Amino acid sequence: MDLLTYLVGLLQGGLGNLASYLAAHVLLCLLPAFFIAGALTALVPKEAVTRYLGRNAPKVISYPAAAVGGFVLAVCSCTIMPLFAGIYRKGAGLGPAITFLFVGPAINILALAYTGVAIGMDIAIARILLSVLFGIGIGLIMALTFLRDDAARDQAGNGAFAGGTEVHKSTWLFFLLLIGLLIAGTLQVGLFTNGYAQFTLPISGMDRFQETLDWLVPFDASLGEEGVTVQGVILILLLAVIGVSAWFGLNSVDEGYNPWTWTALGAIAATVIVAAVKMVPHAGGLEVLITGKMLGILVAMIGLWVVASRYFDEYEIQEWLWETWRFVKQIFPLLIGGVFAVGVIRGLINPKWIQVLAGYNTLLANLVGVLFGVFMYFPTLVEVPIANMFLSLGMHRGPLLAYLMADPELSLQSILITSRVIGKTKTWVYVAWVTVFSTLAGLIYGAWVDGTSPWLLLAYLIIGAAVLAVGLSWVGKRQRQSAATAQVSAH
Amino acid sequence: MEVKILGTGCPKCKRLEQLARQAAAEAGIQATFTKVTDVDQIMSYPILSTPGLVIDEKVKSSGRIPRKEEILGWMKEAQG
Repeated sequence: MDLLTYLVGLLQGGLGNLASYLAAHVLLCLLPAFFIAGALTALVPKEAVTRYLGRNAPKVISYPAAAVGGFVLAVCSCTIMPLFAGIYRKGAGLGPAITFLFVGPAINILALAYTGVAIGMDIAIARILLSVLFGIGIGLIMALTFLRDDAARDQAGNGAFAGGTEVHKSTWLFFLLLIGLLIAGTLQVGLFTNGYAQFTLPISGMDRFQETLDWLVPFDASLGEEGVTVQGVILILLLAVIGVSAWFGLNSVDEGYNPWTWTALGAIAATVIVAAVKMVPHAGGLEVLITGKMLGILVAMIGLWVVASRYFDEYEIQEWLWETWRFVKQIFPLLIGGVFAVGVIRGLINPKWIQVLAGYNTLLANLVGVLFGVFMYFPTLVEVPIANMFLSLGMHRGPLLAYLMADPELSLQSILITSRVIGKTKTWVYVAWVTVFSTLAGLIYGAWVDGTSPWLLLAYLIIGAAVLAVGLSWVGKRQRQSAATAQVSAH
Repeated sequence: MEVKILGTGCPKCKRLEQLARQAAAEAGIQATFTKVTDVDQIMSYPILSTPGLVIDEKVKSSGRIPRKEEILGWMKEAQG
């Protein structure tokens, strides 16, 4: 009997975790983020970024372009590897290729929005800043370490990087509206969270329904758990409708729309709107509060509809929907399974273990975070609920960031694939640097969380960068000199 | 005619192959289809991102899924 209670407890932990991750505010961030990811893939021509990564691009342009390019190009892991190989062999070389490989997974819009909403904006921002900075650093170090190898790359044509495609003006407008949709739904400011009107849906027994839900999935508000609300049930039903209708309506939407397509799109709009209002169950009915969020989302969606129907080709919109649905199909099932599993596992881990291993911002704790990230492979986005679990079990935010930096960058699988492109030596040097830099990122961010002055940290960062730059230019000069002497003596 | 689909097996590559096969079947064009999944072989073509479509050793598109009509146009052009 005890075992049974224990198992039921674990199951409820899984359901509770799933419920709080499918809660309204997470959907408001994830749904727009999927549509943005789809739009980045379908509507932005890759040449818009890759032309800055050609063989002749100066370093000042190619490194930042490689870092930022990840945002546009790396939404899907299946494009990272070919692009990485392409930049390395035919384009700007090892350095920018490594920068691209490092920064890409970290600034993927889905991971970023999800991290921000589920764990905290501070950690999401630290992740962007530090990974761009360190990505460029690692790229430069790798380029100089293997200067001679790099010069001997095959001298194939620059053709793949040419092309002057411009991103169309209406595409920018479309992205602004999509990002507006994301911001209106997630930003916690009075303008969006205030209620402006309310009405009551007369359905009796709503309070008892809520009590039943609380009994099925008990939750502890002090741990930040949310349980399942009546609103949550409506959202889960809508998600089921989207799942079924999108399967028939979006799987081959590039061949044309059908009634299922419109059902799916309608259900998606309804989900976002239901998630944006506030619902309070009473004995007499369901009280619905119209929030600024909902109005903002409504305006953004109408704007998207107008821009899409007026300025875009039908095929572009179809491709956008197809890409978005492809991301959802690829990621969402894994995410649901992962979140459920995390909820179950949380019941099995003793918080003391985590607190002893990574409860404080120490070198060892950050290293443990990184190593855990390397040896555990989690599908895209599942690293976020896992990080959140560690946080609630008492992990310090510093080691947490170290883990979040290392997990998507490095896994045994990605190390193997990388080594097929650039060879074993370079790969292991890269892995070593990523370990060092991720640990460092965790330490710096952890120190900031613990109250160290940001100016002091900035000063350290600048001194560190300066030492690195001087060291690198010295090594670079020596290598160039020795290469020159080698050439002279060969003549 | 020889049609090659370059791609490591992501959903886009499968979709591209499906469209290319449909295009050939609808126009009654005889073509052999090859899937190139090896990264080294893919990178021997001047493309940066998959999926890539190669007709008679000429790269026709990369990094996106072209429309069926586009594919059909290239096939007719290659047929002469």
